[in-house]
Amino acid sequence: MRIRPFDFKAAVSLQDALIQLDQSGPDAKVLAGGTDLVLNMKKKKILPSTVISLHSIKNLEYVEEKNGMIHIGAMAKHADLAINPILEKEVSILCQAVGLIGSWQVRNIGTIGGNLCNASPAADSAPPLLALDASVVIATLKGDKIIPITSFFCGPAQTIIKSNEILIKKPVNPSAGCYLKLRRRKAVDISLAGVAFQAETDPTGKRIGQVKIALGGVAPTPIRVPDAETCLTGLCIDDAFKKIALCAQKAARASKPIDDVRATADYKSTIVNVFVQRCAQHVLTTLKNQRGKS
Amino acid sequence: MKHVRIHLVVNGEDYSLFITPNRVLLDVLREDLELTGTKEGCGLGKCGACTVLLDGRPVHACLTLALQADGCQITTIEGIGEKEVHPLQEAFIDKGAIQCGFCTPGMINTAKALLDANANPSEDEIKQAIAGNLCRCTGYNKIVDAIHSCGCQSEKEKGEVR
Repeated sequence: MRIRPFDFKAAVSLQDALIQLDQSGPDAKVLAGGTDLVLNMKKKKILPSTVISLHSIKNLEYVEEKNGMIHIGAMAKHADLAINPILEKEVSILCQAVGLIGSWQVRNIGTIGGNLCNASPAADSAPPLLALDASVVIATLKGDKIIPITSFFCGPAQTIIKSNEILIKKPVNPSAGCYLKLRRRKAVDISLAGVAFQAETDPTGKRIGQVKIALGGVAPTPIRVPDAETCLTGLCIDDAFKKIALCAQKAARASKPIDDVRATADYKSTIVNVFVQRCAQHVLTTLKNQRGKS
Repeated sequence: MKHVRIHLVVNGEDYSLFITPNRVLLDVLREDLELTGTKEGCGLGKCGACTVLLDGRPVHACLTLALQADGCQITTIEGIGEKEVHPLQEAFIDKGAIQCGFCTPGMINTAKALLDANANPSEDEIKQAIAGNLCRCTGYNKIVDAIHSCGCQSEKEKGEVR
């Protein structure tokens, strides 16, 4: 399987990448890990005249904690993020999700920035980032722009622009998260539906503060489901358990899956319902136990 | 399409190559360096037959542009057990973990990376690690056995495995 010829440019800095992108034609593509781009070039689905590689840019693979914010470089690889100690401690839901992407081979070269910019409705990194209210830093020739990840995706395989950094606010109060993904095989498969569930208690640790639920693979873009989230907000942890069924129903109703080769829309909605229940059980139990310990 | 120069260190040897950008690492290894131990299965990053180690980490050589490997260390099956048979290879032979053999180079590479990172992996960890390496003869039990026995062995030898 041959790849059609293209011009190659290795950007040496972000600024350089932006200039190269600006000077290249509209069909120029940015190369991060290449697990999507090179595959699509082989399949002749994407035929770029120019490929601008980011792999020579140093220092785009970081995970740092600064002033209560976690900064993730766009070129950070899934395999590294899945075992990153900062992320495991503060936002383990992201580690769970990126650890389920593709195979080890894919996680070793695929990047979080690439996964987001490829904008597959089923991208595993998207639901946890939505549930964490992450922001995306976008480098432009006019300077950096920071936008909430909720406005980043605008359709299947469409984002507003390329990102170069992901920002996550560190949870202040006790928090827990869970990501569940349905796939036909146990490994190396894209998700039929993904549910990310992140909850934080209030400062006292007795009541549920914020709940954030995000769904992948069941709408044109990864989505948040605010109606389902508010079912649990403000409740005592014990009371929240009783509202799980209602919350799951609302999440399933808010999903907009389509029938496709992988599963029917009905089945996907049912799965959303079941997975939200399982995630909620897990997260609420974790929060309850955390409180028990402190 | 302009040619570009890249430098690769393959199995410890330096190579300076002048290639067109549209070539994947797999083709450069097989065609230019004549290292045909690395196999092309699906060519689409699904089967893992082309797995090589890029700076010690398993990747699909079929989905990695050769340019992406510029300046990196690459290990192919030819670089494993170069002087004498590697304990992993011995374990594969002992346990009969080879049927047609097509998946074996990729399988050994992934297993080597696993054992380098975790000298005594559990059966579950082995299965997770080789999830991206398909064996169409479906001889998985023997493959998992072989890697497991090698892990136990290396534990005994306290990491003497190369």
